[in-house]
Amino acid sequence: MFAFMVMSLPAQAHFMMVYTPEIAKEKGGDMDFRLVFTHPAEAGHTMDMGGAQEFYALYQRGDNKAKKIDLKGYLKEIDWANPESKGKGFEAMIPRKLVRSMGDYTFVFKPGYYFEKEEGIYMQQITKLVANVGGIPGNWAEPAGLPCEIVPLIKPYGLWTGNVFKARVLSQGKPVAGAEVEVEFMSHMPDLKANVMHAKSSVDYPHDAFVTQTIFTDSEGYITFGIPKAGWWGFAALGVGPETEHKGKEMSQDAVIWVKAVDM
Amino acid sequence: MKKMIVFAVFAAMVAFAGHAFAHSPLCDCFDNGDGTVTCEGGFSDGSSAAGVKMSVLDGAGKVLQDGKMNADSEFSFKKPGDAYVVLFDAGEGHSVEINGADIVE
Repeated sequence: MFAFMVMSLPAQAHFMMVYTPEIAKEKGGDMDFRLVFTHPAEAGHTMDMGGAQEFYALYQRGDNKAKKIDLKGYLKEIDWANPESKGKGFEAMIPRKLVRSMGDYTFVFKPGYYFEKEEGIYMQQITKLVANVGGIPGNWAEPAGLPCEIVPLIKPYGLWTGNVFKARVLSQGKPVAGAEVEVEFMSHMPDLKANVMHAKSSVDYPHDAFVTQTIFTDSEGYITFGIPKAGWWGFAALGVGPETEHKGKEMSQDAVIWVKAVDM
Repeated sequence: MKKMIVFAVFAAMVAFAGHAFAHSPLCDCFDNGDGTVTCEGGFSDGSSAAGVKMSVLDGAGKVLQDGKMNADSEFSFKKPGDAYVVLFDAGEGHSVEINGADIVE
């Protein structure tokens, strides 16, 4: 009976959401973040992410050396409320003085461990979001040196709708062949004032199979995905990290990246 | 007139034959809050602006300070007391002018 109930739930994927309204910025300015562990395609269940281990940005302009900017001190716990669930998340208002320079800012968030009771496993989704100020590119195509990560091969803050997103999945710096990568569209935009995702969706899903798209990496660890709609797309490579166990339980260490596509 | 534009474009092409054509010059400056201003520069293709000529001009266009972008594509100068303009000068068609009034902390 329990299994039946679980199976009858709509197919939806866990996504560590690292969200700020604009990632292609003409000028530097304060950046307002929300970090919530949820299901963005359906404004679904919000989960306790087990706190925050790290939050920082790797800043680079042109050929200059990348610089690490620690942002953990800016995290503030918040209550996030989706239509049918509530959970703890974080907000972070990053002041202009830290993000005013032109170049790329690869934001990295490493949450704590989330225990998924239904499956009896721990989850940790190490998440990247790349933003640019002023149009001078930097390290967007470079690995950030994470235990596991998705490295874009197309500028992740300069995507048109219809572009093909290409990226490489790495575990400890090495490509992962045959990894399962889940893809979701942020159909319910985060409301930063109310700290919610409202019930109204921008997409009508004709079938559960469309909610979470699934792709696999090829033998060299590459994924390709055509982007059909403007907005935010999340990619989660499942279980690719080196940590496979936590407190004696199975652990899925995932790599997540968020990109934004804009209509031409 | 058309001929002149064609000639200007051709001249620019010759002048910058060594550079990628897709790049455009980019420069931004910040008031450091301690009486100095720092400018950062670069090009839209990520190439360095090291060595690019920088000038600080007064309201009448008179040069107050001259300098160059350093190895990190940065240039700092003492903030003038009156109205000023910063010129990032990477050659014809590749310069950026920033009004001092727009330079904030």
